[in-house]
Amino acid sequence: MIFEIEIKTKKGFVDPQGLHTVSDIAGIGIKDISSVDYVAVYRINGNITGKQADVVAKELLSDKITEDYTIKQYNSLDDKKLDKNSIEVWYKHGVTDTVSESVVKAIKDLGIKEDLVVKTGKKYCLKGKNIDDKKLKKIATGLLANTLIQEYLIK
Amino acid sequence: MAKNFAMVNKMKKIKVIIIRTAGTNCDYELKSAFELCGATVDRVHINELISSKNKILSYDVLAVPGGFSYGDDIASGKILSNEIKYKLGDNVKKFALSGKPIIGICNGFQILVKMGLLPKPENFEQISTLSYNDSNKFECRWVHLKTEKKNNDRTLCLWTRDLPDVISLPVAHGEGKFVADKKILDDIEKNNQVVFRYCDKNGKDTVYPQDPNGSLNAIAGVCNKKGNVFGLMPHPERYIYALQHPSREGYDGVYGWGKKIFQNAIDYLK
Repeated sequence: MIFEIEIKTKKGFVDPQGLHTVSDIAGIGIKDISSVDYVAVYRINGNITGKQADVVAKELLSDKITEDYTIKQYNSLDDKKLDKNSIEVWYKHGVTDTVSESVVKAIKDLGIKEDLVVKTGKKYCLKGKNIDDKKLKKIATGLLANTLIQEYLIK
Repeated sequence: MAKNFAMVNKMKKIKVIIIRTAGTNCDYELKSAFELCGATVDRVHINELISSKNKILSYDVLAVPGGFSYGDDIASGKILSNEIKYKLGDNVKKFALSGKPIIGICNGFQILVKMGLLPKPENFEQISTLSYNDSNKFECRWVHLKTEKKNNDRTLCLWTRDLPDVISLPVAHGEGKFVADKKILDDIEKNNQVVFRYCDKNGKDTVYPQDPNGSLNAIAGVCNKKGNVFGLMPHPERYIYALQHPSREGYDGVYGWGKKIFQNAIDYLK
């Protein structure tokens, strides 16, 4: 079973990563992106239940005060559907993902002893005028992803 | 209970434990600061404490130092706060409720807040947080701090007694914005649990960059209602000697005001 846990700033709180991504996008010459929501994504692959995934999201991956979480569940990544006007950035296969190693350790600290594979990703949800594939690719390759070690996904 | 505890300890050497783990990097400065104040100090790895759970209770002061525990992965202090809470939680809570002094500095403050030891150790549930600086940058500079003295013109916190109205300390953090909902914030204010606020050199309200993170109510440090558990984002262990201050300010001709904070805890126990 594959779980993707998405962590997003709660409404009413400042999302500094999102805000600064807007100005960074303007810095590469794209002026019509009005807002960006930043979402941290943790993909957990292994033998855990939905209830355990909920504990991981609530107790470890999100901040109870400032963040909300959403859990998506897949049998296979082929079932996954990407959001419109969003860019996901993930490490390429074989690149060390140091945060994922910490997450695996921290999940065991919660008392969940199953062997799990964790990957960490970032999702940027863009709002603005005239957002098309060309623009999304320019933002992904010019700003958000280091394509030597990271891949980006757009719908 | 806190007062009785201080009497029992009148004659003995004060023992301080500094918890460290991968990524901790201010433990040596903290050790030096406590030793200069006359304490015996052990830097103890979290794994050693977990394998000997009662060891922590043999100490008089608990200190959680600054740094980047576990690389600040997920969020600053999150992994170590969970590790302490889930594996040592009962004894850490017992330590706090016994009235023994506890201090968390920078990453240590984040850890105390995220495990729920501050601002209300009785509940031991996270009710506030230290979130990303408004600037979304790592902020590193000397700042001015107003010492709150609303408890009959004194501070409630045993760590900050007899400090001047305004002191300066260095900050170095990316996630130092104190956030809580209005009710919690009002409670903290009403109970005089705010210990330090970012301010200008005259103690007046200030803005970025002197307020480095946009904390609600400009909060830089808080304590529990008893005043024995104290957390702050600035680094007092980096201002032990007047020579460390940009203008060489201090007291007794030699010491920085950071030393006074550690001395207060040791003197309280003697």
